[in-house]
Order: sequence, then C-alpha cells, then structure tokens
Amino acid sequence: MSIIEVSHLTKFYGKSRGIVDVSFNVEEGEIFGFIGPNGAGKSTTIRLLLSLIHPTEGEGKVFGLDVTKHGPEIRRSIGYLPSEVFYYEGMKVIDLLKYSASFYEGNFTERMKYLSELMELEMNRRISDLSFGNKKKVGIVQGLLHSPKLLFLDEPTSGLDPLMQRKFFDLIKEENKRGVTVFFSSHILGEVQRLCNRVGIIREGSMVEISEIHSLQQNNYKKISVTANGLTPEFFDTPGVTNVQTENGSVNFFFKGDINAMVQKVSSLKLDDVTIEEPTLEEIFMHYYE
Amino acid sequence: MNIFLRELKANLKSLLIWSFIIVLLIVIAVSKFSAFAGDPEMLKILDSMPPAVMDAMNMNAFNLTTLIGFYGIMFLYFGLMGAFAAAMWGSDIISKEERDKTVEFSLVLPVSRSRVVTAKALAALVNCVVFVLITWGFSIVAVQSYNPDQAFYDFLALEMQAMFMMELIFLAIGLMLGCVLKKYKSSGSTATGIILATYFMSVIAGMNDKFEFLKHFTPFYYYDAGEIFRSGQLNTTYLAVSVAIIVVALIAAYTVYNKRDLYI
Repeated sequence: MSIIEVSHLTKFYGKSRGIVDVSFNVEEGEIFGFIGPNGAGKSTTIRLLLSLIHPTEGEGKVFGLDVTKHGPEIRRSIGYLPSEVFYYEGMKVIDLLKYSASFYEGNFTERMKYLSELMELEMNRRISDLSFGNKKKVGIVQGLLHSPKLLFLDEPTSGLDPLMQRKFFDLIKEENKRGVTVFFSSHILGEVQRLCNRVGIIREGSMVEISEIHSLQQNNYKKISVTANGLTPEFFDTPGVTNVQTENGSVNFFFKGDINAMVQKVSSLKLDDVTIEEPTLEEIFMHYYE
Repeated sequence: MNIFLRELKANLKSLLIWSFIIVLLIVIAVSKFSAFAGDPEMLKILDSMPPAVMDAMNMNAFNLTTLIGFYGIMFLYFGLMGAFAAAMWGSDIISKEERDKTVEFSLVLPVSRSRVVTAKALAALVNCVVFVLITWGFSIVAVQSYNPDQAFYDFLALEMQAMFMMELIFLAIGLMLGCVLKKYKSSGSTATGIILATYFMSVIAGMNDKFEFLKHFTPFYYYDAGEIFRSGQLNTTYLAVSVAIIVVALIAAYTVYNKRDLYI
C-alpha cells in the first residue's frame, strides 16, 4: 500500500517556482530519500503534504486521503522534523513536549522519558536558551513522541554532532523496523545512501530520477586523483573513465565501473599520491545531464 | 482547550501591562478631577475654550465638574485603550505564529486551522473581558471618595458595555487582519492605522457638518459617550451594525485562513 501518493503536484509562489509536476509514491515501511540541492523544492513538497501550503495544481494523498481536505486527520499519524526548529521561546522543554503530546490520543510519558534520555535532552531548560543543535534534539523527540506511522524529516542532521547523528540514525532505523514509513529529505548524499531504500532526486522543482539506492550506487561515479612520476592522461584512456584533467602534475578523472580493475591499474604505477572519493552531489547531478 | 490555555498564559503579561496602564490612567485622572470637582470657576474656564476643541474632546455634552461629566470625557480614553488592546491581541495572537516561525510546529499538530483560530479568539476574548472588568472595578474604587450616586453607576455600566463592544469590534478586525494578511509584520500596523483613521473620522464628523456622514463608518461614533448619556442606552441600530461588522470580519478570518498558504 502506498503511504504517500503524489501526482502532478505543482506549486508556484506567485510567479516564482516551487515545484513543477512532481509525481512519486512512497510505499508502506520504506525509507524514501528525497535529495536535491538547496532551493530545489524539497521543503515545498513536504509542506504541501502537511497542508501548510496548498497546491497550485495536482494532488497529494497521505494514507489514501487528500492532503488539502483531510489535513487534521492525516496529521494525527504524522511526525515532522523541520530543517529549522522553532518552538515557543518562553516554554520549558518538558512543557513543550507535554503540550505537543496533549494533542494526540494515548499516554506518552514512558516514551518521552525514553526518547529524551536517548537524545540527552535537558528537560527543564527554556527553549530560548537552547542552541540550534539542542533545539533540533527537542524537535526529534517532539516529532517521534506520539509514535507516528509516517515521519517527515527535512534535513534532520544539520546542527547535530556526529555522535548524535549516529544515535538519530539508529533511532530512525529502529522506528522503521516497527513499520514506520520515513520520508527523508536531504542534500547530503552519504546519509541518504546509508539509510534509504529508494531515492528521488529533485532538481529545480522537477523530479529527475527515482531509483533504488543500489542502482544509484552502481551508477555512482568515483572521483579519482592520481599523482605519479611521468604519468600522462592517456594512461587512463579506458572504458568508464570520463572528464580527464591534468592539474599540478596530478591526473583527475571520474570513474564508473568495476573499482577493482581501476585499483589494479593504479597499483601498477609508482604513486606519489592517490585519492578516491565520492563526487559531490552537484557533480552527480552534472553527470545526470551529460 | 490546550491551545486556549497556552494562549491565556502567553498573553497574561500583555494583559497585565495593559491593565496596569489603564489603572494608572484612572488613578491620575481621578486625582486631577479632585482639582475641579464642583468648582464653578472651572466651568467658566471651560466655557471660554474654543468650540472646536470642545467638540474634539466631546466636552459640550458634559459638565466636567460632575463625576458623570468627568467620566463621560474619560470614555474617550477607555474606548481608545480598549480598541488598541483588543486589536493588538487579535492580530498578534494569529500572526505571531508566522512571525516566530512556530507554524511549522503548531499547525502540523492534528488540529484544523478553524479550531486554532477559535481557541485563540476565545483566549483574546477572555483578555478583553478581564480588561473591561478591571477598568470597571477600579473606576468604582477610585471614585468612592466622591460619593457617587446610582445615576453614576448606571452610566458607568453603560460605558463599560460600550467599551466592551468597541473591544469586540476591534478584536474581530484584529483577528481578521492576522488571518488574512500574509505579511505578518503588517497586521499590527494596519490595525493601528484603522483605529487612528476611524477615531479621527469620528472627530471630524463631530466638528464639521459637511463630514457628518462619516459617523456611520466609525465605531467611535457608534458608542459616543454624549449620546449614551443623553439617551441612557446604547443605540440599537449601531449595536446591530457592530454585530454585523464582527460577523463579517470573523467570516473573512476563518475563510481566508483556511485557504491561504502559511508564511514560513
């Protein structure tokens, strides 16, 4: 069953583009990555699905219900972590969490305790005294508190230190195991690869690709830089190598294919230096259009 | 209920500040009143003032040396204060969520926007009621030394009803502005603009016959203290007009707020 169904969703803010003709489905129990650079329309899509804003054209359905008509009903089973978290400044963390919980049916005392201890929240501090990262932690607890069936995460890791990021990812995986569907928006390819089953790539308001994360990884280019004595660009004139450039005595290129073959080829050289790295998202995007 | 209670708490400080100001106003005004209470010399001075000033201050209708007359003049300030406070409460209680960017929290909760507006409107309404009651109660306490008679209490009660109606009108207008205007910054200033514009309309309408028609467009004229004093009641036509304004403003508030994009 599709938890999210988006068909031909379009949003213009006056004349400026939000998203144009975006269609995709998110199935129950999956972690769907939604990736694209800043301003591509990721937050717009999420806000449309949360009915904070209304579509210009097209429709979105969550749990089979139209988002513009059944907003409150849908939101009963949704958790949302915005990219920037803003709460009522004067409230204490504990009061804010209790306030949030009061809108949902059930008793969440135990869960509040569990989540806040996991995220190392200081419950008696005022929201206004919290740093960006600490507010984000409150956001995580608040978003997960009522055990939602569907989670919207909008660039969730910004502001979290690496240790917290790992705890957060573990938490999301754990929730996912319980059957929670996750819509994970990010501009960091690495974290999407770690977590997601499928990924949609959005660029300038349009969906350019929806694929399994495995196939994306197979398509994935490596950025390789080799420095060796007497090395010429022609040495790498083999299949899978593109974009060869020479810079300060080192040869840089993109490689797509069997990485073992490449490593063997490189190992035949007497190297001064070698780096193999993930291309940035922009570089991947560029390859999508070449 | 949870939104209502949270808003009451969040607005308590504002209510206390407004109440403190109006109590201070009453204390200062009543202590000034002691200077010319029952003083015939004062009447002569007042009579020698230019008629336009008398009109603007609504002093023709009242004998300032009596308690009722004095409170008739005071109504101008009560009305203005009530209007400003109510309009601010109304517009701010809606627009602050967008200003503070808390909409991404408060409207992702499983509540309809109508429920949010209703809860907030009720919280602002409680503020308005308390504000009138404080004005009323403190007025009674402040004038005790002048041994007010029943006529004064009756007039004061009418004035307070009028003040409450002014509050309701501007509360509804404030709510409408908060709900309708996408630019949260402009709702407060637009509310202030409307209050000042309608107030000066009522002044101009009273001063110049050519502009008398303006009186139909300003709540400050609907609840003119001189008129209330003369007739001993609130004008039923204008009461109906007030209710109509309130209903229209509320319908606009709910309709637009349910449809519009939130500013994030």
